[in-house]
Amino acid sequence: MGFFAPLFLLGAIAVALPFWLHRLQTQSSLRQPFSSTMLLETTEQQVHVQKKLKYLVLLSLRVAVLLILALVFAKPFLPRPAAAPASGQEGTYLVLIDTSASMSRDGVFDRAVTAAYGAIESVPAGALIQVLDADDDVSRVSELSADKSMHRSAVSALGVSALRLDFGRMMTTIDRLAESLPPPVRLHVISDFQDSAMPARFADLVSSQVAEMIPHSVGMLPRFNRRIEYVRDNFDEVDIGIVAGAGAGATAARIELLLNDEAIDARVLSETGRATLQFSGLRPDVGDNRLTVRLDNDDDLAFDDQWFHVIENVPPAPIPLITLNDRGLPVKYLSAALESDAAYRVEPMLIGDADFRTLSRYRWAIVDDLASLDGEQAAALATFVQQGGSLFAFVGERAAGAERLPISGHVVRPTGVGAGPDEFMTVGQLDTRHPVLSRTEGWFNVNIRRNIAIDPLAGDQVLMRLENDVPLLIERRLGKGRLLMLTAGLDNRWNDLPIRPVFVGFIIEAARYLSGVDRVTKSFTAGDTLTLSLVEGASGQVLDPEGNAVLSLAGTTRAQQIKLNKPGYYEVYTPQEGYIVAVNTDPRESDLNTVATATLERWVRAMGGQAPTDGRVTSEFDPEPLELWHALIFLLALLVIGESMLGNANLTPLRKTLSSSH
Amino acid sequence: MAALQASQSSARELLRPEVLASLKNLDLVARSVVEGFLIGLHRSPTFGFSQEFAEYRAYSEGDDPRFIDWNVFARTERTYIKRFLGDTNSHLMILLDASASMGFGGPPVSKLRYGQFLAASLSFLASRQHDAVGCMVFDEQVRDYRAPSTRAGRLQSVLHCLDSAEARTGTKFDKPFEKFREQITRRGLVAVISDFYCDTTNLLAGVRPLAWQGQDVVLFQVLDDQELTPDFGGNVLLEDLESGRAVEVAPQFMRETYPERMRAHIDSLATAAAGIGADHVLVSTSDSLDQALRSYLMFRQRRQ
Repeated sequence: MGFFAPLFLLGAIAVALPFWLHRLQTQSSLRQPFSSTMLLETTEQQVHVQKKLKYLVLLSLRVAVLLILALVFAKPFLPRPAAAPASGQEGTYLVLIDTSASMSRDGVFDRAVTAAYGAIESVPAGALIQVLDADDDVSRVSELSADKSMHRSAVSALGVSALRLDFGRMMTTIDRLAESLPPPVRLHVISDFQDSAMPARFADLVSSQVAEMIPHSVGMLPRFNRRIEYVRDNFDEVDIGIVAGAGAGATAARIELLLNDEAIDARVLSETGRATLQFSGLRPDVGDNRLTVRLDNDDDLAFDDQWFHVIENVPPAPIPLITLNDRGLPVKYLSAALESDAAYRVEPMLIGDADFRTLSRYRWAIVDDLASLDGEQAAALATFVQQGGSLFAFVGERAAGAERLPISGHVVRPTGVGAGPDEFMTVGQLDTRHPVLSRTEGWFNVNIRRNIAIDPLAGDQVLMRLENDVPLLIERRLGKGRLLMLTAGLDNRWNDLPIRPVFVGFIIEAARYLSGVDRVTKSFTAGDTLTLSLVEGASGQVLDPEGNAVLSLAGTTRAQQIKLNKPGYYEVYTPQEGYIVAVNTDPRESDLNTVATATLERWVRAMGGQAPTDGRVTSEFDPEPLELWHALIFLLALLVIGESMLGNANLTPLRKTLSSSH
Repeated sequence: MAALQASQSSARELLRPEVLASLKNLDLVARSVVEGFLIGLHRSPTFGFSQEFAEYRAYSEGDDPRFIDWNVFARTERTYIKRFLGDTNSHLMILLDASASMGFGGPPVSKLRYGQFLAASLSFLASRQHDAVGCMVFDEQVRDYRAPSTRAGRLQSVLHCLDSAEARTGTKFDKPFEKFREQITRRGLVAVISDFYCDTTNLLAGVRPLAWQGQDVVLFQVLDDQELTPDFGGNVLLEDLESGRAVEVAPQFMRETYPERMRAHIDSLATAAAGIGADHVLVSTSDSLDQALRSYLMFRQRRQ
């Protein structure tokens, strides 16, 4: 047994203290009844040092606690015995080849393939081999077999991807994979060992299932490289960030801008370091526009010389707002909230002038007071909803005198919230799972002075209730469409919702929900996944940058998580709309700095191998020692509990004595 | 002569507390003590205690008709009372302290048991002299009370009252003495048996009115040897039987200071008793009972 901090063993000297304490006697234990203490006088307590120790069990516990405490601080360990492979069993050899984007440098992947051949040849005859490739995931390239020719063929078929390798995630996968392989498992890692691929925690690099790791570093010293770091657009302007690293062979670069595959501008950049180029006067078409930035220069990496970007030019969607007063407060509040998002434009429609037949042109509409509709208008709106439209309705003061709400059919109760100026309710329950409410906060600060009390009908989904359990926000399916109804008006006499921060977010989320269009991200990194949700039995289709359909016909009827592996533009078609997303290689793959030699040596040692020498490592198992402090802490806890109980038991008679003497 | 000496020696054995401790019946204890005491007293020139005829006197209302000499009545048709020596037609009231501190002592007997022996013996002795005998057992309150009487069976009642006393709670003299004063109107002898662990001033406040009332008071202070000359090997935590208070004392204190304090306490009690005309008799639980009885008779004789 060894100690990581042996000086703490000096703490064991403290065991002298309980020995001393257990020799002290401060109180006589001889207690006798006496007729009267009237004539007696308390003698001053005397501390005696006894020759004999008292309470030996308690003393033993206390000494043990102190000794173990000193041991815990000294961090004892046991060296783990070396695990030799079982005689007659060769185990498994994994040959892992890094196929991440950085391996696409000139000559690097060829060296990797050569190293893989060498690794396969070095495996003893009869041992099992499996070839793996690793980018953002680890994949089996060949079956587990001792047939070396088969593995060589598998290696020759490998190519470089546009994805990023993370060593931490790689080792986690290897660890799981090695569990099912015949031990001992030895791992050949053939990679350029990018420093940017290292995980945040060193512990993530260590696998308990792999007996030895043999690294093959095939990277070369980084040469000059210039890369595009980012592209940001402001509709007709675009900023391009370019980074040129140090290194020999710096050359000027030509930056070319292509909008929808047409070259629109170009510049020459000769400076190295970080630079930002601004291009303006872009005239994107309506809808999604492909903006491709190309860097034409002679540098180390090719994949980071172009960047794919999508410029959105979507006109705001008109939203009919059906109202009795187009200059009223509800119209102002709703217009201000909706038009805070450039995607929406409010079109007020006076009820008397509105032609409800035109509603079919819109996806959804708003009514600021549902009870202001007459029977014919209500029927026209109901038909609009039945046929798939959505309606966002507020129930204002006109509903106070109605018996039943139009379209929804809810019966109006005579009593809502009290009409007194100082009486108000707040929100009591909130269904935060609903998309309209999931991203909004601050509902509990809203004061509701008046609302229309209704009882929910069968099929209603009550999304929000007041403190008195009266529904405040209800969603109801009507035919193919849906009705979202707030049982309060947007008059500041009824509530202070419009002046609360939650209002704008709520209206925008309701607009997205009712329009059926959610904001989608248009920029991805290679390896990300695109989610296609199922709407009305279809999820949609995706075309990859080469124009190939990603999903089969059956796949278009299921919700999908599509991995975006290739840099370029993916065309996405959903039941609601079609759009384009741009995919770029992770910029970290352009960082060609390699893992420090000391770090790599530490990694190899942690895995049970020797430090790499000339790119090749021989094996000798030297596992980490077994630390004992965990067990000692547990034992210490038990001893402390025992000491407390025993000490308490021993002190009880003394306490009785003391309490009776006072 | 030898037979007489043997008889006296055997009788004195009966007065020793360790012998009496083996007797469970207090009546038997009293008889044994008194008989033994009287045998030893037989030849004593000091005390003329016997049933010898003294005089006749005219019967008056209130006299016990058992003592009327019917032979004289037959001859003279007058009622005369026949009086004997030592028969003073007095009454004895025994006040026995049964507080918790009286439970201390022994072996062979605790202070309370010794007090019970003493009280029973006094009662028996008084009864033989045709004195009315009563008793009161007290601690903080009057626990039991028998009014003095010469009626047949009174002695048994008094002995039962004494025998049933058990040591418990604290001691207070004021209330029991006040109750006693309310009950007793006739003059007589009052024997207080206690360890008198109390403030002397307070005790006198209770006893003094009795003296003023004309009662003749004798204080029997019963103490154990361990109280008089304590012997503890080391530090000891002594717990007060009445208050529960515990005091840790060193052996040196118990050897040197405590006996001085005890002696001063006894002296102050004796001085105070003398000041009000009462007698103070200190008895140890290891003493034979004849000394206490002798003190009683001397006191009784002085009163006559």
